[in-house]
Amino acid sequence: MATNTDQTGTMYDLTNVLDIDALSSVRPGSTILISGPAMTGKEALAYDMLADGVTQNEGAVIVSTGDRASSVVADFSERVGQESFPLGVIDCVSDTSGGETTDSGVYMHHVSSPGDLTGIGIGITKALEGLHETGVENGRLALSSLSTMLTYTDRKTVFKFCHVLSSRLDGAGYLGLFTIDSGAHDDQTLQVIKQAFDGMIEIRERDGTRQARVVGLTSSPSDWQTLE
Amino acid sequence: MSDPDAPVVLIVEDEPDVAETYNLWLQDGYEVRVAQNGDEALDMLDEDVDVVLLDRMMPGLSGDEVLSRIRDSGYDCRVAMVTAVEPDFDILEMGFDSYLTKPIRSDQLHETVENLLERSTYDGLLQEYYSLVEKQATLEATKSSAELAESDEYEELTGRINELQDDLSQTLGGIEDDEDFIATLRGLGNGDEH
Repeated sequence: MATNTDQTGTMYDLTNVLDIDALSSVRPGSTILISGPAMTGKEALAYDMLADGVTQNEGAVIVSTGDRASSVVADFSERVGQESFPLGVIDCVSDTSGGETTDSGVYMHHVSSPGDLTGIGIGITKALEGLHETGVENGRLALSSLSTMLTYTDRKTVFKFCHVLSSRLDGAGYLGLFTIDSGAHDDQTLQVIKQAFDGMIEIRERDGTRQARVVGLTSSPSDWQTLE
Repeated sequence: MSDPDAPVVLIVEDEPDVAETYNLWLQDGYEVRVAQNGDEALDMLDEDVDVVLLDRMMPGLSGDEVLSRIRDSGYDCRVAMVTAVEPDFDILEMGFDSYLTKPIRSDQLHETVENLLERSTYDGLLQEYYSLVEKQATLEATKSSAELAESDEYEELTGRINELQDDLSQTLGGIEDDEDFIATLRGLGNGDEH
């Protein structure tokens, strides 16, 4: 959570990916919840924001609860359009646990279940450490998705996990992007989880087009903006 | 040491001289218990124990075995491993909350015990923070915004939530340290009944 006032890192500009004013200057250490119905491109939006950061020499960390690290890396490579990039991936679908570094320098960490919060935390720590060692000073982390985590762990634990991870990202000066399927949970759960974040990007569908708005980062919500 | 509210530290160490040194260093600020081996340690363990300093290499039950029995016991205490060799993350993966490498200096010992107590404070604050956030969400779901604006309970709740946010960001330096981060996450997964 962006609560420290002595943080001096560069602000994050997300408007290359989503052109909404509230995203033009996001404080390091901020965490944003990307909330919307299923199949509305929440994960793609988060990954695009990470890829955009990489082109600006930022690091990227992806926690995937549904895809294998190798396919996350392949997908990310296409988004970035480069052969090598500073990336660490933690997947939660592997039979084995532990970490490895690929030939292209991507750190992959495997955790056996989305409910293994300690394992995920160790993976994130090692990924951040690896990026730091290559000289990357700041970056963006995406976690997709909290909805899957909520099927393995209760709401209270997921809330606390988000809070503790936010604090850690604040310490590292990273930006955090977490996706949640708004249709998969009751209103109260969404309301509670939201409280662990500094702001939210809401996605909805209207007449066949997708729209997004930003809530919480500025004093009032932004207008709805059409997504391409 | 007669302060009944002083935190309780359990020292598990088979060398009496070493155990006595730790005891002397800590006894002014803590209630100290000393066990000479793993079995004695498990006998002395109860809900009052806040921090355990556990020597890894002991005759009889090993430090690793004692740790797993402490975790199984369900008591909510922090365990620091005392070791002759510098370990890495593996130690945290094994379930220890921290480690100290011999020989230990007095200031290191105090720092570790303080840090582990602070983690307990953090967990307590986070637990309280969660319950209030949940209460707030319930009020927001059941009352109109006009009703909320007039509700003293809601106002008080929101104020307390903001205070706790500040407290949390000041405890443990807001979790900037890897060891604090991992150990705090592991605490969340431990049955979560505290």
